[in-house]
Amino acid sequence: MGKMGKAWLVGVFVFILMFAAACSKDTDKTDMSDSGSKGNDKTEGTVSLTIGSWRTEDTANYEKVTAAFNKKYPNIKVEFKPSKNTEYNTILNTALQSGEGPDIIHLRPYAPGIALADAGYLEPLDDVKGLDVFPDAALQASKGSDGKQYGVPVNMSTTQMFYNKKIFKDLNLKEPKTWDEFIALNETIKKKGIIPIAIGTKEGWLLSAAHGIIGPAHYGANDFVDKITKGQTNFTSEEFVNSIKAMEQLKKYFPDNSEGLGMDDIRTLFATGQAAMFPMGSWEIEVVRGLNPDIEIGYFPMPSAIGKEPTITAWVDGSFAVNAKSKHKEEAKKFMEFLTTKEFGELFTNEFKMISAMPGVKSKDELVTSLSEAVEKISTPYMMVVYFAGGNPTTKVTLETELQGMYLGKQTPEGVAKKVQESADTWFKPVQ
Amino acid sequence: MQTMLQPNTTKQKRLKKRKRWGIHLFPIPALAIYGLFIVYPQLAALTYSFYDWKGIKRGVFIGLDNYKNLFTQEPFSGYFWNSFGHNVLYFAVQMIVQNGLAFLLAFIIYQKIRGAEFFKIAYFLPRLLSVIVVGFLWKLILNPNYGALNVIFGAFGLENLKKAWLGDPDTALMAIILVNCWFGLGFAVLIFLAGFQAIPRDLLEAATLDGAKGLMMLRRIMLPLMMPSIMIMTVLTFIQSFEAFELVYAMQGSQGEPYHATDTLAVFFYRLAFGGGTGDSTAIGLGSALAVLLFLFISVITAFYLRYMQKKQVDM
Amino acid sequence: MKTTIWMKPFYYVIAFVFASISLYPIVLMILSSFKPSMEIFMHPLALPKEFSMETFKKLLEQVPFMTYFSNSVFVSVVSVLLTLITTSLAAFYIARYTFWWNHIMFFIFLMGMMIPIKLGIVPLFILMKNLGLTNSLWSLILMYTATGIPLSILILTGFFRTIPRELEEAARMDGAGDLRILWNVVLPLMRPALGTVMIINFIQSWNDFFFPLIFITDELKKTIPVGMMSLFGEYSADWGALFAGLTLSSLPMIVLFFIASKQFMEGLTAGAVK
Repeated sequence: MGKMGKAWLVGVFVFILMFAAACSKDTDKTDMSDSGSKGNDKTEGTVSLTIGSWRTEDTANYEKVTAAFNKKYPNIKVEFKPSKNTEYNTILNTALQSGEGPDIIHLRPYAPGIALADAGYLEPLDDVKGLDVFPDAALQASKGSDGKQYGVPVNMSTTQMFYNKKIFKDLNLKEPKTWDEFIALNETIKKKGIIPIAIGTKEGWLLSAAHGIIGPAHYGANDFVDKITKGQTNFTSEEFVNSIKAMEQLKKYFPDNSEGLGMDDIRTLFATGQAAMFPMGSWEIEVVRGLNPDIEIGYFPMPSAIGKEPTITAWVDGSFAVNAKSKHKEEAKKFMEFLTTKEFGELFTNEFKMISAMPGVKSKDELVTSLSEAVEKISTPYMMVVYFAGGNPTTKVTLETELQGMYLGKQTPEGVAKKVQESADTWFKPVQ
Repeated sequence: MQTMLQPNTTKQKRLKKRKRWGIHLFPIPALAIYGLFIVYPQLAALTYSFYDWKGIKRGVFIGLDNYKNLFTQEPFSGYFWNSFGHNVLYFAVQMIVQNGLAFLLAFIIYQKIRGAEFFKIAYFLPRLLSVIVVGFLWKLILNPNYGALNVIFGAFGLENLKKAWLGDPDTALMAIILVNCWFGLGFAVLIFLAGFQAIPRDLLEAATLDGAKGLMMLRRIMLPLMMPSIMIMTVLTFIQSFEAFELVYAMQGSQGEPYHATDTLAVFFYRLAFGGGTGDSTAIGLGSALAVLLFLFISVITAFYLRYMQKKQVDM
Repeated sequence: MKTTIWMKPFYYVIAFVFASISLYPIVLMILSSFKPSMEIFMHPLALPKEFSMETFKKLLEQVPFMTYFSNSVFVSVVSVLLTLITTSLAAFYIARYTFWWNHIMFFIFLMGMMIPIKLGIVPLFILMKNLGLTNSLWSLILMYTATGIPLSILILTGFFRTIPRELEEAARMDGAGDLRILWNVVLPLMRPALGTVMIINFIQSWNDFFFPLIFITDELKKTIPVGMMSLFGEYSADWGALFAGLTLSSLPMIVLFFIASKQFMEGLTAGAVK
């Protein structure tokens, strides 16, 4: 390195510092004035609420939401403070256990969220006006075991097979209407040297998501969900084993080295047109478009292999709840009320490009609107999230791990089903 | 290791007596901070392991049941031994690859080669990066499709060596351990170099005159004198490899993917105590029990090792 | 010691190969930060087509990097100073006196390295809350001081034992107290060891992201690693920005190291392990 090297580095360092100072001046200023105005408002009886969330990518959008809220309630300041997705639970649990935490909590759907309610960390919201706009199925995502409502559902997520419209057009392909057509489609794409399905098996959650799309076509969607939640069938049944076998059958249409690919890789394969189809959730639409603004994304419901209706998979992906230890519960409930208004529903679906949990809210985005209509007509629940996210490790995680094992040649479809059932046996109580 | 301070005059004795009370204040600040922010919270958390937990709510006192369940209940006992094996491998590979290599490189630098300063800095630079950065960079390098490693193998026509390094259960753990070696190499080099440089030159010259050469010199004369630095690196590597968490978590997530091929005890602990990250269930009682066992294991082995080494040094 | 001449080329080859392996990923990070995302995926090994500062500019407009940076500097510097002061006092005591509890005290300090520190996070959070330190940089300073104590004591105790007692005795004869001896006689001899302890603790507190994640929610109190971590959520697909962020967060540490490396290297090599 020598003296020259050092001088060079110090130079770069100083340069970066100056550069940073120049660029960050503006933000610093706004921060200053922000805190200044906060101080003034306090004297006029303004209340500040914080929202905890894992959606770091939505920060800018939530500022629009709080601005709209402040038009109605200028005295309630709301601050959106997200933390990294994978650390959110650690942070939230630690704070809640210590009697702290944000006033408003972005709640994970179903079992994990309900666990917080059952442990007494959340405020019941039954007296919040407007909750009746949501269908029961949506409220279910945050209903405590005591039957009280603890959360206001915000968005639905769907998983379905996305496809690249241009590739389908170039190859003269049509959306499949039967499972056999779907397999034939895969064959055609593969023969043309394009990867049929962009998926990797390195991250387990991708596998339960894919099974959530493909599985219903084999186990028979809602009928099976009904039966299994009532205890009339189980995961070792032929239908369910078939759904796992179908997952195995599709492996030949996966990219090379699929065992080493994660979310970033498969998104890139689809966005760059190297892969034709993408079994993924609605939240990825904007990310893919961000990577390649020219891509035209379509989707098709998964055609059934046993002569039933095709389905897309849907569930409530997030609700908002009020911290039982919050000092401003009344104000927080005002915000909850705002979340039930049509105004919020429309703002949400248009700005976030996601599906509102409120029925009948139209989005300006064609794809999102089409998906939200499909939710009302042809959806089947994401069974693993909605009913089987309990146990330790959860039954959902067990399915992910074992599917991963299957793709690595260390587990059979029957073995996967058996392990999943064993996990459910440790905790699952059928509804009577 | 220590010899009594031998006061040899009465004047000194008196002086020492007068000063003695003051010296006991010396460790107080460190003890206070350490006690308040390390010992107290950890002790408080150790009691978690004696309770039944419902999610993040503490239930009833259940004695040692969590400890028992860790060993008798599937899948926990399976995970436990699986992870334990991985930690042992972690330690072995780090000792052989990281510390072995570091010993060699330190020896080379000790030979007064040109650019010694550059090499020292180069080996140490990775240690400056945050583990998140390290994990992210190596995930990219090891990526099967566009990662540098496979691209390089491809360029040399070694197509059959290309692999999904982090996705294949046969290579994933080894890949992570080697990344950890990359990360820790520089520190080990510097410690060993310190050891080499502490060897009195005249001793070496005397040995040379006696006709000692090359390997023989290294084994007979230098190795015994290197024991203190070897001991420090062994203890540190042992502790680090049994606490291995951050890199595994950054690269393979909280499930030790793929198919628990990279699970370690600390990752398993994190999963139990905090859930899988995106809202999976927690088992705080089991997690705390695991942490207690891990701590006991490391401290007992370390204590025995230190005692053994001390005795050996006294014998020499 | 003499080495046979023919060995030398091998030495250089080995030293050079491993230096390249050590440096390559860092070079890759810095180069990639000048590339657009697509170029990273398509041509991971190539040099960037043009050195564009765009991503850096975009990043700095959106992230209060200077705030993160000054927080990180404050936290790291103060905690390193506290660690140095407290551990040199304690290590002096452990190494220089032979009370029967010294061995025990030494091992209790060492145990701090053997606990998965995350275990106690809830009691810690409550403790910080009761001290009124949540959302305060002092919570981080105290944690980094505390977690830095074990390794520092290990290194410093080893060092103190190497310093000849005669020096001390002489000062003692002149009537100097323990504190005077430590400050005037022993510590000046310990500069290399203190340098080592300083850098190691600096690296730890600079790079840690767990404690700020838990204790700090105020955007303006965040340190570089945790501030930059939010990039992973926001730019999960924009790898150009991600690399720029990683480079920005690593560079201060690398530059600092180059400035302090001489002191540090001497520190370690002057006898950390005698």
